[in-house]
Amino acid sequence: MHVPDGLMHPLISLVGWIIAIVVIALSVHFLNKKLPYRTLPLMAVIGGGIFVAQMLNFPIGGGTTGHLVGATLAAILLGPLAGMVIIVTILIIQALLFGDGGVTALGLNVLNMAIIGCFLGWAVYRAVPGKYQKFGILLASWLAVFIGSLACAAELAGSFVMSGGAYGITGLVAFPSMLIYHSLIGIGEAVITFGVVSYISKVSPDLIHTPAVGLWTRRKVVLE
Amino acid sequence: MKFDKRLFVPILAIMAIFAVCLVFFFIFSAPYGDGLEKTMETAGVEEGEPVFEAPLSYGEDYPTAFAMGLIGFLAVFGLVLLLGRILGRKDETHND
Repeated sequence: MHVPDGLMHPLISLVGWIIAIVVIALSVHFLNKKLPYRTLPLMAVIGGGIFVAQMLNFPIGGGTTGHLVGATLAAILLGPLAGMVIIVTILIIQALLFGDGGVTALGLNVLNMAIIGCFLGWAVYRAVPGKYQKFGILLASWLAVFIGSLACAAELAGSFVMSGGAYGITGLVAFPSMLIYHSLIGIGEAVITFGVVSYISKVSPDLIHTPAVGLWTRRKVVLE
Repeated sequence: MKFDKRLFVPILAIMAIFAVCLVFFFIFSAPYGDGLEKTMETAGVEEGEPVFEAPLSYGEDYPTAFAMGLIGFLAVFGLVLLLGRILGRKDETHND
């Protein structure tokens, strides 16, 4: 779901940049000097792991593939603010080092994947009662991908309308296509997220039971 | 900031899993686009010229892709550590 250069109307890309900068600035503000140093190596490992996982597209049928976004995974394990740092770092490396996702579209990619994935995924996960934590992980990670694709479809349709067809894709194609594909990709995201969280909580619970960061707390992940 | 040596195990495990899954990626997924690329294909929209020419790509073969995965892992790992050092606080000064 990495938006390339030249696909979206420049004004839509600009709005994406503004939203991304504001949310990144707020994240940095709330996170600043609250992140314990001992959490950093784990953050770095999770970041590197999500990067390589994003390279591994999985087939969803019909000659289409999808890949893990990992934002909800990072938010569940480390909180949404630390998750934002990780996913934004990955998106920057992908755009600047590997040309995956356009530089002009970086703001939209931050919005669609990092912001929606971390904050919406985290909010859904936290909203589900603790006794349904497994369901919460699955629902949050699926919904983060689905809503991220809905945002991307809206950006495509908006670009199409604003430019008279020079940019974007008509909503008649963008909405059904993006939502159908990503409802399936979201299943892969949910399964992988659930698997990773379950595995880490069982083999190294102390690794993820690190202190919470300010108001934007993680909840202890304990899967029985 | 001390590096927890226990993290070497998950790092090696991640790269080992990546090495195995990359085989399946090249068998089942490599020729196909993702959801957005497929949507663009359906709509007949071509990907535009990038405004910035990235120095690397993910590669078209297994050894290159594995090397790029390793480079990407290290780049993200290093940058997250750097940002964390800027945003973080020393462990002994906090009250959790």
